[in-house]
Amino acid sequence: MLLADEVASSHPVLADNPYQPHMARIVRIYKMVDNNHLFTLRFMEDSLAHSFRHTPGQFIMLSVPGAGEMPISISSSPSRPEVLELCVRRVGRVTNALYRLRTNDVVGVRGPYGNGYPISEITGNDLLLAAGGLGMAPLRSLLWYALDHRDKFNNITLMYGAKRPEDMLFREELTALVDRTDINCLLTVDADPGGTWRNHVGLLPGLFDHAKIDPLRTYAAVCGPPVVYKFILQRLLELGFPKNHILMSLERRMKCGIGKCGHCSIGYKYTCLQGPIFTYWDAINLPEMI
Amino acid sequence: MKILKLPKEKLDLFASVVQQFGELHAPVEQDGKYVFKRLTRWSDARLEYDRTILPPKKYFLPPQESIFRYRPGEGFVPVTDGLDQRIILFGVHACDVYAMNILDRVFAGKYRDPYYQARRKNIAIIGIDCLPDKNCFCRSMRADFVDHGFDLFFYDTGDYYQALVGTALGDDMVQATGSVFEPMDAAEIDDYKRRSLNKRRAFQLDVEIRDLPEIFEMEYESELWDELGDKCLSCGSCSMVCPTCYCYDVSDDVELGSRAGDRTRSWDSCLFYDHALVGSGENFRGPRASRIKFRFYHKQRGFVAEYGRPSCVGCGRCSNACPVGIDVVQVIDRLRRVEDVASR
Amino acid sequence: MSKPTVGIFGLTGCAGDQLVILNCEDRLLDLVALVDIRDFLMASSDNQTECALDIALVEGAVLTKKDADALRAIRKRAKLLVALGSCAVWGGIPAMDRGMDRGPMLEEVYGDAGAGYDSQAAQALHEVVTVDLNITGCPIEKEHFISAIASLLNGDAPLYPKYPVCTECRMRENNCLLIERGLPCCGPITVAGCNARCPELRVPCIGCRGPIGDANPASLLAVMEEKGYNREEIVNRLRMFAPQGAPQ
Repeated sequence: MLLADEVASSHPVLADNPYQPHMARIVRIYKMVDNNHLFTLRFMEDSLAHSFRHTPGQFIMLSVPGAGEMPISISSSPSRPEVLELCVRRVGRVTNALYRLRTNDVVGVRGPYGNGYPISEITGNDLLLAAGGLGMAPLRSLLWYALDHRDKFNNITLMYGAKRPEDMLFREELTALVDRTDINCLLTVDADPGGTWRNHVGLLPGLFDHAKIDPLRTYAAVCGPPVVYKFILQRLLELGFPKNHILMSLERRMKCGIGKCGHCSIGYKYTCLQGPIFTYWDAINLPEMI
Repeated sequence: MKILKLPKEKLDLFASVVQQFGELHAPVEQDGKYVFKRLTRWSDARLEYDRTILPPKKYFLPPQESIFRYRPGEGFVPVTDGLDQRIILFGVHACDVYAMNILDRVFAGKYRDPYYQARRKNIAIIGIDCLPDKNCFCRSMRADFVDHGFDLFFYDTGDYYQALVGTALGDDMVQATGSVFEPMDAAEIDDYKRRSLNKRRAFQLDVEIRDLPEIFEMEYESELWDELGDKCLSCGSCSMVCPTCYCYDVSDDVELGSRAGDRTRSWDSCLFYDHALVGSGENFRGPRASRIKFRFYHKQRGFVAEYGRPSCVGCGRCSNACPVGIDVVQVIDRLRRVEDVASR
Repeated sequence: MSKPTVGIFGLTGCAGDQLVILNCEDRLLDLVALVDIRDFLMASSDNQTECALDIALVEGAVLTKKDADALRAIRKRAKLLVALGSCAVWGGIPAMDRGMDRGPMLEEVYGDAGAGYDSQAAQALHEVVTVDLNITGCPIEKEHFISAIASLLNGDAPLYPKYPVCTECRMRENNCLLIERGLPCCGPITVAGCNARCPELRVPCIGCRGPIGDANPASLLAVMEEKGYNREEIVNRLRMFAPQGAPQ
C-alpha cells in the first residue's frame, strides 16, 4: 500500500503540502536518562531518508498519530545522515504518547525547520558550546558537526552541566570526549551523591576557570533552562563577547513550524522561521525572549 | 485596470448571471447585525451594511477544519473536502479585502498554506464601497481603498455602480452579463473624485500610525497594559472577529476503538492562557497584561517589522465585540497621549 | 486481551450525566464492544460492586459522609477516576450554599430531625480524592464522553476546549447577548465545549460548565453592574454552578 504522504504529492490541490507529515520508523530507543530517551528515526521512504538534510540547530515537527504534533530539535549531526536522532523529554500529551511506542512503530516527521546555527558565519572561528540540563539536545548536533568537520573550526570547547551524573544527557559519548585533544570537553555535575563521577563537580559557570577563551574570535552557542542563560550570558558579556557572537536556542510553543500558527511569535519574529537560534543582540531587542 | 459602470437596474441581472461562476454569498441581516451567508434569494442580500460579525476570513480559514485524516498503515491523508467549491462573496468592504491581502502574505511565502490558497483561488470576491460609521478607522490604517485582491469592486454612486475589474475572472463576469456594463465618461470620473473626498470627510475616527512601532517600544512598560490586563476577560472575541487574526491551534483526536482520527485546526487567540505555554510548563506570556500587550504589539508593531505595515485594517470589529469595551483607537490614543479623544 | 473494566457511579446529583451516557444510543453497542461495564447501578441490577476497575466515572457532588466513603471506595478500585458533570467537577448547584451555616438550613427543611442528618457542604470530587480527568457540563456533552473513552483507551486524555463560551459563540457568529442586548451572559468566563448552545438560542449563558481556568469574574461583574444589574444577583449567578465562578 502506498503511504498517504506519497499519494498526496500527486493531488492537484495539495501537492507540496507543507503540513504533510512523512512517516518514519522508530529504529532505536535509547533510555539515556529517566524520561529523556533518545529516539532514532528513519523515514520509510528511502529517497527521503537519503535526501533529508538539516543544519545543526534546526528542528522537526514530530507527529505521534492520535496524540498530536510538536517541535523537537534534531540532536543528530547532518554529517551522520540517513537517520534522525531526537532527544525527547517526557512532559506532555505528545511525548507521553511517544513513550508508549516501541521500536518499529511509526511516527510522522516534517521539516527541517528554523534557521539553525549560522554555519558559514562561525566557520573558521573558535567554538564554545555551553549547555545546562536538557540544553545539550540541540547543541549535540552542532558538537558532532564540528567534530566531523574539525578543520572548519579552531579551538572547540564544550561546557556541560547537569544536576547529577545520572541526569547528564549523552553521558557515555561525552565522557569519551574528555581525553580527546581536539576538543576541551568540560563536564560538571552539581552533586555526585554516588561518588563515581570522574569529572568536575560544581556549578556550570565554574567551568570557565578551566577554559581558555578568546571572546573576539569565538562564537558561543548556549542552551539551557533560564538560569543557565542568566549566568552564562553574564559571564560571556564580562569576558567581552560581542553580542552577536552569542547564539541561543529557544523553545516555544509551535503548532505549524512554518510561520503561520502564531504561537512562537516573539515580538516581531517567529521562533520557527527566524529562530530558534537567536543572537544575544536579538534577545535585547525582542521583548519577553528569555 | 478596467473601470466600467453598471446601471443600478441591471444589478439583479448581474447577480443572476454571476451565479454561473459559483454559489452566491452576501451579507444578510441577523437580528440587526449582518453575516455573510449563502443567499437563498438575491433580495436577502444587504449591500448597504456596516460590518459583518465575522469577516470573510471564515471562508478561507474556517473556524475549524480537518486538515488530515490519520489511518494506521496509510499515514496522514490530507482532507480536501470543500476546497474545490466555487463561491462568490458579494459585497466585501475594502477593509476586508485589504485584510485578505494581508492574510495572503501570511499564508504564502516559503511555505504556502495549500488549504488557504486553494480556497483563495476558488472563492471570488466582489467588493463594495461603503461609508464609515463611528467605529471605522480604515482610512487611518490605509485600508479604505484596495487596488487588488478582488475580482470586481463596486462603488454605489446612486444611479449606477462604478465597477473596477480586478481579475480575468471579474472580466468574465462582466462579459457574461452582456453589454450592460459601459465605459465611464469624464463627468462620471469627476463625480468619483468628489465622492472620494466626501468619503474621506465622513471619517469620525483618526489615528496616527506613523512611528507607532517606536511608540510601542517606548511604552512597552506602560501601566496601561496592566490596566487592560485587569479588564480583559481573555474571551477571545476580538481575535475571532478580527479579519487578520490568523493564529490557529492544531489537535489530533481518535475515533472510538480505533487509532484513526482527524487532525483539526481551529482558530486560536494570543489572549488565551496557553498560547505561549510550552510542554515543560514555562509560559512566556502568562500574565493577562502580557497577553493583551502582545496582541496590540503584534498587530501594530510586530507586523510592521515582518510585513511593512500594521496588520490592523481599522474595521472596528474588535472594539464592537469587546464585552468590557477595550477599544483599539482609545488604546493607541492613550499610548500617544492624545489628550482630548473627543475632539480628535 | 480482556476488555478494560468500567464502573459508572452517581453520588448526590440528578443522574443527568449518567442519563447522557445511556442516551448515546447509536454508540452504546460500539462502547460495550470495547469496554466491560461491570458496575452501573442506573443501568443494571447485576453489578460487581467490589471488582477492580480500569475507569471509574463518577457523577454528583459529595454531600454526605456516605458519599465521601463511597467515593473513596471507588477510588481504591479504580486506576483512573473521571469526574462526570459540573457537580462532580466543581461542586455544582449543591455547592451554592457553601459558606452558609448548615445547622439552621437543615432545621428549616427537616425540622428537629435535621440535626441528625448526614449532611455536609457540597464538595467537588477533587476535594476528597485524586481525580484524573474532568468532564464538565450540566449535563456533560455526549461527544465529550465518547471522546474521553476513545482517548483513554488509547492512553491519552481527551482534549476539551479551555477557552470560554464567547470564543465558540463568535465562531458560530451569534449576536452578542451581553453587548447588544445587555443580558447577563456568563459566556466570557464559562468554559466552552457546548458550542454556545444557549446563546445560539438567544438565551444568555448561565455558566453551567463552570469557569475557565483563567477566568476574570471581577471584570465581568463590573461590566454587569455598569449595565444596571445588582451585584449580589450577579455574584449568585456567577457562582451558581461553581463556587470558583464568582470573584473573591
